Amino acid sequence: MNTVESRVPVTVLTGFLGSGKTTLLNRILTENHGKKIAVIENEFGEVGIDNDLVIGAEEEIFEMNNGCICCTVRGDLIRILGHLMKRRDKFDYIMVETTGMADPGPVAQTFYVDDDMQQKLHLDAIVTLVDAKHIWEHIDDSDEAKEQVAFADVILLNKIDLVDPEDLEKLEARIKSMNSMAKIYRSRDAVVEMDKILNVGGFNLDRALEIDPKFMEPEYPFEWSGIYQLNTGTYEWVMGEGPDPAMGAALLPLANMGLAAQEATLMDAVLTFSEDEQAVEGGEMLRLGKGQHNQLVLNENGETVFNFAIQEPGYYMLFTEHHPDEFDARLGGAEPVLDPLETREYKPDHEHDEAVTSVGITIRGDLQLEKLNGWLSQLLREQGQDIFRMKGVLSVRGLDKRYEFQGVHMLFDGRPDRPWENEMRQNKMIFIGRKLDRTALENGFRECLAS
Amino acid sequence: MRRRKRKTRPAQPALKAKWRANIDDHPIGLAWSPDGKTLAAAAVSGPITLFNGDDGAVQHKLPGHVLDTMAISWHKDSRLLASVGQDGKVRLWDAETGAQRAEMAGGSSWVERVAFNPLGDCLVSAAGRKLRLWNSCGELLREYPDANSTITDIKWRHDGRAFAISAYNGVLLYDPAEAEALRRFEWQGSTLTLEWSPDGKYIATGDQDSTVHFWMADTGNDLQVWGYETKVLELAWSFNNRYLATGGGTQAVIWDCSGKGPENSRPIMLEGHQQLIKHLKFQRQGMLLASGGNDGLLAIWKIKKKNPAMLADAVFKAPIASLAWSPDDRCIAVSDVSGALSIAALRRI
Repeated sequence: MNTVESRVPVTVLTGFLGSGKTTLLNRILTENHGKKIAVIENEFGEVGIDNDLVIGAEEEIFEMNNGCICCTVRGDLIRILGHLMKRRDKFDYIMVETTGMADPGPVAQTFYVDDDMQQKLHLDAIVTLVDAKHIWEHIDDSDEAKEQVAFADVILLNKIDLVDPEDLEKLEARIKSMNSMAKIYRSRDAVVEMDKILNVGGFNLDRALEIDPKFMEPEYPFEWSGIYQLNTGTYEWVMGEGPDPAMGAALLPLANMGLAAQEATLMDAVLTFSEDEQAVEGGEMLRLGKGQHNQLVLNENGETVFNFAIQEPGYYMLFTEHHPDEFDARLGGAEPVLDPLETREYKPDHEHDEAVTSVGITIRGDLQLEKLNGWLSQLLREQGQDIFRMKGVLSVRGLDKRYEFQGVHMLFDGRPDRPWENEMRQNKMIFIGRKLDRTALENGFRECLAS
Repeated sequence: MRRRKRKTRPAQPALKAKWRANIDDHPIGLAWSPDGKTLAAAAVSGPITLFNGDDGAVQHKLPGHVLDTMAISWHKDSRLLASVGQDGKVRLWDAETGAQRAEMAGGSSWVERVAFNPLGDCLVSAAGRKLRLWNSCGELLREYPDANSTITDIKWRHDGRAFAISAYNGVLLYDPAEAEALRRFEWQGSTLTLEWSPDGKYIATGDQDSTVHFWMADTGNDLQVWGYETKVLELAWSFNNRYLATGGGTQAVIWDCSGKGPENSRPIMLEGHQQLIKHLKFQRQGMLLASGGNDGLLAIWKIKKKNPAMLADAVFKAPIASLAWSPDDRCIAVSDVSGALSIAALRRI
């Protein structure tokens, strides 16, 4: 059995076109880091650069059926890396660049399905470059962009000079909600210390699990919020007919436009929606403030008008159970229509499934390896397409070493790591993917404890 | 595949080293000239050494390819050696003078495969998806339409009148006189290597998805066997067309193709390797099979239906990188990945 140390580490570099991959690669190749690096990229032919080597590869993705496991892998990488490993002057490091639109799955899986690769190489990290300015154009509707974020061990928010700090905070929060495991760094011109992306060493689950998983992707009881700047006076909230005869709403003061204040008000709104709702009929006054959970009852036909009065001018945040567009709703006052300064949509529970999220689990006790294997095999058979990555540091009964574990889609691989030292033996596991059911995962994992 | 109890026991040592050498690099290929006088050893970093087959004297050291040599193949008359490599070239070397006789462009930056016609005067090279047919002067005879994906292997039928290539999606069969493929053997998987049965009836393939296929060359029927531990890169036919030896694990799996063929049959399993078998070669006119593994073990097996036996073994310090029977079947050339090369004679057993 080869130990982890004797295998050559591989970094997979992903990111959309223009995110700065080439800049980063050139930096890696020219920087004096004292390592001998082989780079496999899509564009150029094979060139030797000083000590390093750049090999052009044409992505050849194929599907592999192996018993009940089905996965896609990169055939070109198996060939090229297989050959590189025969060279006597071994490389210290291998980097694989993917095309912008690539799903990182096949590349990552390649390192698990082939024995030769598994014996000689290990996937050190998937590094995803994110164009901090343009990522918003992709992150909601591009599966590849989501997957690139979800698969990453390290995320480099690049081109931060092109965005303002608040947007950057939002972006970082959004990315954390999708992948709580990744280390996130910010950069300009892809300038980053090499030790942040090379020899990352894979496992740092503690950090991922530091963020209380319950807050990673809260399930909001509302779908929409809008921030309005309101002066003293009376206002009308006008709603047309919609899919439901009634809708929950809350109107809360907002201290300022800053992200921290917004988060505070958001939490107030969650608490408010947990209160008993109070019916408000058309023509009645909508109640304002924390704890006031309004149930807006619509007229059977036509528009319904709800009123409210503002005593203190300032920012207010209106939260609605459904998207106002579904009811052609609008806020009016002195002006017939007041536009919100900013809006935000929240994924409702039922659509939530499609979002990429992380589920981190920590439990004490020793696991029974056979049970774990059985559970994972079944889980991955059923949900392997939706589970992008898994990582774990486990406490296995009868083993005095930490058991390191990781997987990509339906493939997984575990091996003993260093001995447990002055630390509590416990099991940490994280799943990243779609349609993750935290309760089911937690229960399944718990069932694997040695009785 | 079923495990069977180990019944074999190493016999008296029957391998005796004739000569040894060290090429000090990972050999990607050992190839005897058809007349048995010369052994070519190609190192991954490029150089190709031509040894005198009898005593190991170095006849020539060919520079090979600047960025790694990937494959070598002898002309039938032992006069020319073809090599391909990562400089994108096919090179023809004069084995007598050591001079380069021709240099051709393979069509892509990595030329991975080359195969001289065993009975003719032409050779085929594969670089990525490019397939080219040349004569022995280095003149391009034909450029074929690009394959669907990278060509992983080329093998001539033993009569030299057809050749087959493997790639993702199976196997293509060509007549060197025709531009179009004669037949396609399609499989939704990555086919890594192929081997013709000496009578040309079967094309056996080894696949990334841990399967082996027996294609009937004339009908295109496919018999698939699975259950291998890993991808299958090791295939060897016995000269009498009876057995196909396959690797893909720590045990060699031998299929009997006589009678009704391998379908529903139970293969012979050879146990003895501790790690993955990486090389399998049958004698050219005998029934001995040589296996080499990542455990450094070279084993010589006598293949028979009942009680197959390991007749001889030798252990190298590093995984076996290449092995080749001499044309007269009396010696076997073996090298491990460090480049330690041993030519052993087989005592009459």
